[in-house]
Amino acid sequence: MQASEFSDDHLDILKELMNIAMGNATASIADLLQAFGTMHIPYISVSDLNGLKSFIEETIPNDRQYYVTKQLFGGMFGGEFIFVMTDESAVNLGNYLYDISKPERADILDAVVELTNILSATIVSRLTEELNTKVQFFVPSTELVEGNNLIGLAEILDYHKIIIVSTQMVFQTQNISGYIFILTKGEMIERLRHLIDQKLEELYA
Amino acid sequence: MKVLVVDDSKLARLSLIKTLKEYEPSAEIFEAENGAIGVEFFKAEHPRVVFLDLTMPVMDGYEALKLMIEIDPKAQVVVVSADIQTQAQARVLSLGAKLMVPKPINSEKMLAVLQQLVF
Repeated sequence: MQASEFSDDHLDILKELMNIAMGNATASIADLLQAFGTMHIPYISVSDLNGLKSFIEETIPNDRQYYVTKQLFGGMFGGEFIFVMTDESAVNLGNYLYDISKPERADILDAVVELTNILSATIVSRLTEELNTKVQFFVPSTELVEGNNLIGLAEILDYHKIIIVSTQMVFQTQNISGYIFILTKGEMIERLRHLIDQKLEELYA
Repeated sequence: MKVLVVDDSKLARLSLIKTLKEYEPSAEIFEAENGAIGVEFFKAEHPRVVFLDLTMPVMDGYEALKLMIEIDPKAQVVVVSADIQTQAQARVLSLGAKLMVPKPINSEKMLAVLQQLVF
């Protein structure tokens, strides 16, 4: 097996750990929104830039605008957490959190960043806790992007060999949903494989 | 004792079975990778305890739980899920689950489940 290749067991354990992490995150957001959220089965794939492009084209409609929040994290395992939310969902979130019918753009941005902070901290922290390691988070940035430019973001283009960890968060009653991506590359993929190997050894011991 | 473990993750099943065997080494264990297969095993094997995940392909845990309780209203179903929302817990308990345990299940949680349902 190549150093950066993942077996079915590696992908299975990553999916299961992501499932646990997503459960924690959904509960945290449910507390924030005082609502019930639906969890989706995480999608895990080792891919390249073309694979990521295809996945995004198939998953996210390109005929609308999106708030895209990106946050880097690093340590024994590192990568980028990306949260993609439609303009409509972001407005609904701002509306709901601030209890006003027409939230200002700044309020929407603030709400999206707050939500992403909770999501990234909960998901990545839980994921890395299960892998017996820790990470440090960097300051997130948010921008409003046209759907057909999602895959043109400079940071995403920098990824060659990529692990795509993707899932969706849906709060149907509030009409708030978003797509979550965790991208990692290069040496970090090898480190992640090593951490999963340790987890597998524990399980098979 | 027959035990049915329903989870789409092979490693989640492996982890749960390993923990279960610490207390019940002679348990006869049946594994299913989704709710539909789980319901078939449930009908055929009448397990004493079922460990059931919620988020699965083909048939999710809610639907499987509903069918199992229709088949046997006294079924001892333990939902083991990453979904730790209080509403999810209320929903599975109202559908007839005996307990809901957050993932991952460790020795301590397993002992508590077995003490409540088996020992």
